Amino acid sequence: MTATVSAPRQVRPPVPAPRPVRRRSRTWVGWSFILPNFIGFAALTLVPVIASLALSFLDWDSYSTPRWVGLDNFERMIHNDTFWTALKNTAYYAVGHVPLTLCAALGFAVLLNQKLKGARFFRTALFFPYITSLVAVAVVWNMLLSPESGPVNQFLRAVGIDHPPGWTTSTTWAMPAVIVASVWRDLGYYMILYLAGLQTIPAELYEAAQVDGASGWQRFRHITVPGLRPTTFFVLIMLTISSFKVFDLIQVMTEGGPGRATLVLSQVIYREGIVQGRFGYSSAVSMVLFVIVLTITVVQFRLQRRSER
Amino acid sequence: MIRVRRTSAYLLLGLLSVAVLVPFAWMVSSSLKADADVFSVPVRWIPAEFHWGNFSAIWGRIPLLTYLRNSVFLSVTITALQVLTGSFAAYGFAKVRFPGRDALFLAYIATIAVPWQAYMVPQYVIMQKAGLVNTHLSLILLQAFSAFGVFLMRQYYLTIPDELSEAARLDGLSEYGIWARIILPLSKPALASLALLTFVNTWNDYMGPFIYLTDNNLWTIQLGLRSFVGLYDAEYAMIMTGSVLSVLPILVIFLLGQKYFVQGIATSGMK
Amino acid sequence: MKRHLVSILAGASALALLAGCGGSSNGPAADGPQTIKVALWNYATTPEFKAIIDGFQQANPQIKVEPVDILADDYAEKVTTMLAGGDSTDVLTMKNVIDYARFGTRGQLLPLTDQAKALDPAKYSGLKAYELDGKYFALPYRQDFWVLYYNKTLLEQAGVPESKLQNLTWADYATLAKSLTKGDGPAKVYGAYQHTWRSVVEATAAAQTGGDLLGGDYGFFKDQYTMTLDLQKDGALLPWATARSQKVTYNTMFSTGKAALMPMGTWYASTLLADTKSGKTKVAWGMAPLPQRTADGKVTTFGSPTAFAVNKNSKHADAAKKFVEWASSEAGATTVAKAGVTPSLQSQQILDTYFALPGVPGDAVAKKAFKPDTVVLEMPVGDKSSDVDQILTEEHELIMTGQKSLDDGLAEMAKRVKNEVR
Repeated sequence: MTATVSAPRQVRPPVPAPRPVRRRSRTWVGWSFILPNFIGFAALTLVPVIASLALSFLDWDSYSTPRWVGLDNFERMIHNDTFWTALKNTAYYAVGHVPLTLCAALGFAVLLNQKLKGARFFRTALFFPYITSLVAVAVVWNMLLSPESGPVNQFLRAVGIDHPPGWTTSTTWAMPAVIVASVWRDLGYYMILYLAGLQTIPAELYEAAQVDGASGWQRFRHITVPGLRPTTFFVLIMLTISSFKVFDLIQVMTEGGPGRATLVLSQVIYREGIVQGRFGYSSAVSMVLFVIVLTITVVQFRLQRRSER
Repeated sequence: MIRVRRTSAYLLLGLLSVAVLVPFAWMVSSSLKADADVFSVPVRWIPAEFHWGNFSAIWGRIPLLTYLRNSVFLSVTITALQVLTGSFAAYGFAKVRFPGRDALFLAYIATIAVPWQAYMVPQYVIMQKAGLVNTHLSLILLQAFSAFGVFLMRQYYLTIPDELSEAARLDGLSEYGIWARIILPLSKPALASLALLTFVNTWNDYMGPFIYLTDNNLWTIQLGLRSFVGLYDAEYAMIMTGSVLSVLPILVIFLLGQKYFVQGIATSGMK
Repeated sequence: MKRHLVSILAGASALALLAGCGGSSNGPAADGPQTIKVALWNYATTPEFKAIIDGFQQANPQIKVEPVDILADDYAEKVTTMLAGGDSTDVLTMKNVIDYARFGTRGQLLPLTDQAKALDPAKYSGLKAYELDGKYFALPYRQDFWVLYYNKTLLEQAGVPESKLQNLTWADYATLAKSLTKGDGPAKVYGAYQHTWRSVVEATAAAQTGGDLLGGDYGFFKDQYTMTLDLQKDGALLPWATARSQKVTYNTMFSTGKAALMPMGTWYASTLLADTKSGKTKVAWGMAPLPQRTADGKVTTFGSPTAFAVNKNSKHADAAKKFVEWASSEAGATTVAKAGVTPSLQSQQILDTYFALPGVPGDAVAKKAFKPDTVVLEMPVGDKSSDVDQILTEEHELIMTGQKSLDDGLAEMAKRVKNEVR
């Protein structure tokens, strides 16, 4: 087995000449692999998604017959202050959450992939935030960050900062507080993906590099990072998408407040749709979110393609 | 030099583990308190008086066993289906070239980009028309074919060199044979992480079961816990007792699955 | 090993498809006794639901009632989704008037105009709230309104006679709250606790000044906010930010004796009754009228009714209508009062039934609390209600956390309601 794992794959091998299989049969084979998943996916995810995006051009309250309104929903949206606030907040959250989580997850995965005593314990511990009840997460973070009596601010005062921030009760600091809590929560999740990705890098490459006298940093830079490229691509896309869709953690930590300081697009979609029953408008907001995320994803795809060539 | 690095690594990890485990500690500590003491200001980490009785009382308060059984059933089935169909489809996306493949793949990723809140109502209408509301099957169908698994497995398969499958093809193996005999065994770490993450997500899902399941004997542990919170919103100690109990199965899965994504064991274990 | 893996996966998924179909819902009953389903919340801890269902079944033995228990927190979301899918649950409980207006105007409920017109609006507090363009789609069975709860022990320790609470102004309330505050750190007892909801300040102000919550000019909030902010600054109230971020429950604050005075709805009395009975709390509690702007003896408070409605898709509409009518009738109201809840139908007889319950404080102060002169609807019904509610909630947070000065906050409310609500 070791023999197969150590097959050279540092540089992607040229795609071997395709066997003389007919295109038609190849298509058939490809579809046969995808079909079992695709049937369920198409019926219960793809169709509802398309339906919901189509709703953005309609006026629908979930009961009466939908009415075509063209771009009315979008027009209402661009004149709505709450929409712009939520869009800005979502972007702010993503810009903070994505790079921090990515670096932390990668760092800890590399660290905990080594033969370190107690690694098993640390790996488990780091996954804990992801499985701890959200209520507990919200309560403890709010308690740690409590403006008057919280340990964080007590520490800040002790080191000479007289007016530490009010964290989740301050419009300026609520978002950073939420970002820190979310990085903390998601870290273990993405670490698992990186740990799986690290298993694809053959140990021989590291051994060879060590023989050549490469430093730890050089090994990380020239073996680990390129070897993890497909995983990083996956993590980056999932992270981007999930941070644009963030909902649960903010809902329990701040409910979008104070005021609208941490209000994000998913909350607007939720409130307008399922709570208020304005499904057309809610879908229009989803459409914006969808277009933004899709654009970013396509750009990431292009970049990955280019780097592979 | 190495020792210094080791020590600082341990120090960092130790500090971090504390930071990471604090909320969990709060959960455990609260589960051993009287209800009125849970939200005391300032917080009390060690209960003044240990209420171990919470852990036996909860079984009589809510049908926890039924909830756990439903959660296990749903999580295991959904995870199995997701891993199976996801890795199967991923092979099609990663290793078979055919026209329309990339567009189709983009459609998969695109759906991930739409928040569930946006399409839960159209989805519900379809389920209602199919007469599947208030069954476990509705949740299985909803969650077993998600795009996430396909995407994750595809990315992993891309790292498996093509000449492996090429060689197998020359040996006369069919594409299905290559998937089952070559690719699947090689992707154990990815399968393990997909299984773990799917399991955890299904286990912790609340909104799906809430919308689709009405009968109490179909409820999952998360739904049961939330309803307990709603009913007895001041009984936070009992709520945390339930939360602690609900985390334990995941912990077991994690400890079992862990060896698959750790270097050394994973490679030598593959035969 | 590899074949193993494949067969396990295949086996498990086959099992899933076979076993997954359990627990399908029952079809409509054909003949014999009819069964109607009632969508409600928190069945186990909301005693009046069981009381109403039992009472109704006794009066109508040919109809069987089945509760459909839904989590209270997300009740509206679930009902919205169910109705969108064409669900046929016969009776729907209308948790608040704003949601009712939404379902009613969309035509998801059967009209009950004739039944509503037969009721005496003078006796049915809250009935008028259900009128939509001259039509009614629901009948109220329950009406909650706000009173002031107080901790008898803490008052006694401070030497404050309970009769003083019979005729309290907000200024008296503030002075009293400050004088009742004592202790420090974990042992601190607050003179009062005001929950984080905006209604505690805003609906009170609207009801007692006659201000319009949908109007777009919120100067009438000013006095109530000034008093609240002053109490908070003085330390007589648990800071709003702490209560909010640590998810403090009002029940914990009051029933553990951490607060002496607490404005809250009448529903809390039934919780206290149940908790006292089960021994969960030992707090000695009383009820007084909500404090007023002036001490002229008149009591104005705010509240909101709860009602039953019939689903348009119901297959047993007649039986369902019978249920709704019964719940709001004299017999229904008596049942509700016996369950420790304030029914929509108000009469001396019903009040007597309520005060005869064991554990209900039956003194003059409590009796006065239960006979307010005016009960104003917590939030007026209109198509703007929920949007305005959202804005007022957000600005309330900013004022209470001190992120905005009171004047700026009030100005922002007015500006946003004018610009954003259509």
